[in-house]
Amino acid sequence: MKGIMKSLAVTMSTFMRRPVTRNYPTVHRELPERDRAFPLLLWDQDIDEPFCTGCHACERACPVECMTVLMKDNPNHEAQGGTSKRRKIVDEFWIDYGRCMRCNICVEVCNFEAIAMNNTWRGHEMSVYDRADLVMDLPQLMSQSKAKEIDEWVAD
Amino acid sequence: MSDGIFGIENTWLDALIRVQLIVGLMTVVVMGLIYIERKVLARFQQRLGPTRTGPAGLLQSLADALKLVGKEDLRPRNADPWTFELAPYLVFVPVFLGFVVVPFVAGWQVRVVELGLIYFVAVSSLSIIGWIMAGWGSDNRYAMIGGMRAAAQGISYELPLVLALISVAMVADSYDLNQIVAGQSKYPNIVWQPLVVVVFTIAGLAELNRTPFDIPVGESEVVGGPFVEYSGIRWSFFFLAEYAALFILSLIFAAVFLGGWAWPLGEDWGRGWQLVLVSVKAGSFMFLVFWVRVSVPRLRIDQLMSFSWKILLPLMLVQILINGAVLVYHGSLWILTLAGLVGIAVLVKLVGHAVSQPRSKVVVAAPAEGKAAS
Amino acid sequence: MVTEAAPEFETQDLLINVGPQHPSTHGVFRMVLEVDGEVVKGLVPYIGYLHRGAEKLCENNDFRQGVGYMDRTEHLAAHNAELSYVMAVEALAELEVPARAQWIRMILCELNRLSSHFMFFGAFGIDVGVFGTPFIYAWRERETLIDLFEEISGDRMMYAYFRAGGLAWEVPANFKERVREVLKSSRQGVKDFDGLLTENEIFIARTKNVGSISAADAIEIGMSGSSLRASGVDMDIRKTEPYLFYDQVEFDVPLGKNGDVFDRYYVRLQEMEQSMRIIEQCLERLEDGPIMPEKMPRMLRLPEGQEVYIRTEAPRGEYGVYLVSKGGNKPWRLKVRSACLSNLQALKQMSIGQYVADAIIILGSIDIVLSEVDR
Repeated sequence: MKGIMKSLAVTMSTFMRRPVTRNYPTVHRELPERDRAFPLLLWDQDIDEPFCTGCHACERACPVECMTVLMKDNPNHEAQGGTSKRRKIVDEFWIDYGRCMRCNICVEVCNFEAIAMNNTWRGHEMSVYDRADLVMDLPQLMSQSKAKEIDEWVAD
Repeated sequence: MSDGIFGIENTWLDALIRVQLIVGLMTVVVMGLIYIERKVLARFQQRLGPTRTGPAGLLQSLADALKLVGKEDLRPRNADPWTFELAPYLVFVPVFLGFVVVPFVAGWQVRVVELGLIYFVAVSSLSIIGWIMAGWGSDNRYAMIGGMRAAAQGISYELPLVLALISVAMVADSYDLNQIVAGQSKYPNIVWQPLVVVVFTIAGLAELNRTPFDIPVGESEVVGGPFVEYSGIRWSFFFLAEYAALFILSLIFAAVFLGGWAWPLGEDWGRGWQLVLVSVKAGSFMFLVFWVRVSVPRLRIDQLMSFSWKILLPLMLVQILINGAVLVYHGSLWILTLAGLVGIAVLVKLVGHAVSQPRSKVVVAAPAEGKAAS
Repeated sequence: MVTEAAPEFETQDLLINVGPQHPSTHGVFRMVLEVDGEVVKGLVPYIGYLHRGAEKLCENNDFRQGVGYMDRTEHLAAHNAELSYVMAVEALAELEVPARAQWIRMILCELNRLSSHFMFFGAFGIDVGVFGTPFIYAWRERETLIDLFEEISGDRMMYAYFRAGGLAWEVPANFKERVREVLKSSRQGVKDFDGLLTENEIFIARTKNVGSISAADAIEIGMSGSSLRASGVDMDIRKTEPYLFYDQVEFDVPLGKNGDVFDRYYVRLQEMEQSMRIIEQCLERLEDGPIMPEKMPRMLRLPEGQEVYIRTEAPRGEYGVYLVSKGGNKPWRLKVRSACLSNLQALKQMSIGQYVADAIIILGSIDIVLSEVDR
């Protein structure tokens, strides 16, 4: 009986403590800086074009082969009188979020720091009704950075 | 005989109205109890419980009831029609029948019955037939196993429960619940019969099929319980019966052991305060039931049965003997208190002894080599 | 008056299917119990519901990509799984891992042992029948631990943080303070579990002398980890073949006596306290420094014709990685020696002769995670 009394005492002590649950989705907890949701592309705000040059490094490094990249000549290049130093720029970019395993390797191999993991809540709340909607194309991948809604973290 | 409610003279009409009041009250109370249980259990576990449906989740039970009403009423093809259909009624009607004698406050009961306690015990054990019918009528061997276990448990713990109530009736010198409560104006019966209170709580938990005795209902570890084939509103009858039984047992506990409305306030405080007092007492028993649910593991069926037959029953028989001896020879009632406390110490010792016994390993013939059971 | 012997009644054994979907959260595992009345006479386990071909997939991935697959083979103790893999690669490539990386790896592996054992208590508590309380306590403690992991590596369960040679990136600046905070709350969690279950008479009645296995049988079956130590065998890879810096810290190895369910539970409880002791010592010895060796090749290639077997003490037992390389940057063959699969072999022997209601508890006490059994 003494052991049962001890169990009762333990549960009574937790009765007195504050609840540890949060009422999601009314309340969102704060995500740490390094939180790793799905990858997205970064927008160079100074020159107004993506950082990504379409060099295929991340596409090759991806373990699950979830990316497809196409590059084109940059119409904004200095040689043609533009403002950018990038000779090539990304033309099309698809990432299948359904296959991505969020391993961060694409971020590590990128030479231009053009891709980063989404560390906001929008990266986590990705429920869709149709699996094909999980394949993100270039405008979708760039939208959050273009609108300055992300403060990304990339390891040195 | 009490005065007619609302001043109605015709006893049949009066009884009918009282019964309707009880039924209406019970439905609301049960829904409230389900909500309270969920909230209290959640607090024990440092979480919140229902918060979204309605303000602070108050409409959660209503939402659950609506959902259950909307479900399809399934019946297995080979289920025995009469047994299957009648089982839910046989489980919850006896509980409501028990309400006939339970007094909420002085004078607020359906009918004053002189053998009130006996009537209550007799009627509440009818639910066991309902459990067996549910198990057998489902045409499912696992349901039948569950039903048999529930029945075995129910019958085994009926005896200590009845003997506990009889012990208290001996001390109070009456079976009428009103008289028992009135006789506690100086000291509640818990002072005279501490061991009986403990045994009543344990046996009550077993009758309600609550942890640690919820093997029939927690059968979902391996198979479903006896209610596995029921769906929708039929299933909710069993649920309703469980909470109604909890409510009624709490009221009986408050009336018989804690003094109901008579202690410590007495008759001169108004009905309102007496109702509050009874609610506090019944509520504390319910809180104890929830608290135990959240803290202790489940007993296995053989451990459960041996606990009842080998420990609780002998203790209760000895208690009745001592009660009889003290009352017949007009001894001081404080001897009973002493005997009760000694009895609790003996119970603790016996439980500790039973737990530390090594389990006898069941010898089983080794399965034949190479036999593939698929 | 009986003039002749009563006829023998023909009884048929009942086959109970504990299906792939359980209320107890062990994963998709199926077992068929052959039951005579209430007693288990035979047991046939069915596995393979979670087989994803992780070992084959790793053959197409180089040594950085494979880490992500390894932590999916044991999702509750992912750091330990990654550790075996990167240690195997480092052994073949003869890389020297800097000290700071080793200390941090040790801290993370022991923290992962804590979180894995918390999960065990949660699931085990539900099996024994307590309504939800141990489960909520377990998740309360796990939340603090995986919040810490999220701050370090970015992910809550599939870290992909270890690399061959060291770590992927540096830990945050407040690492030591955060670990100490987490240790404080884990101590409270262990105390809660201890008070809730260890001395509870009903718990003892349910778990003592149930599902026992002797030391000789356990060794013959090939068990390892806490389940083996609960039978009294003093075998801990951290002591017998120390890796990382386990030979430089002091800790005890708790042993059980009977090898029953209660001992397996109690050994794990004590292991958690020892883990916290190890973490504290590591925090004091942690110094600054690099986390990757200086001359780290861009694409790691292993010499040809080499093979290695590295084993570590994962929370569930001996998690071994057998790596064969034939040159190149991808393994030729990667085999994972799964602790849970070997421990699961003992299930039949432990359950025969016990009651049906105990078979679930016995399964819970071995502490399996199906992603490791099936890979």
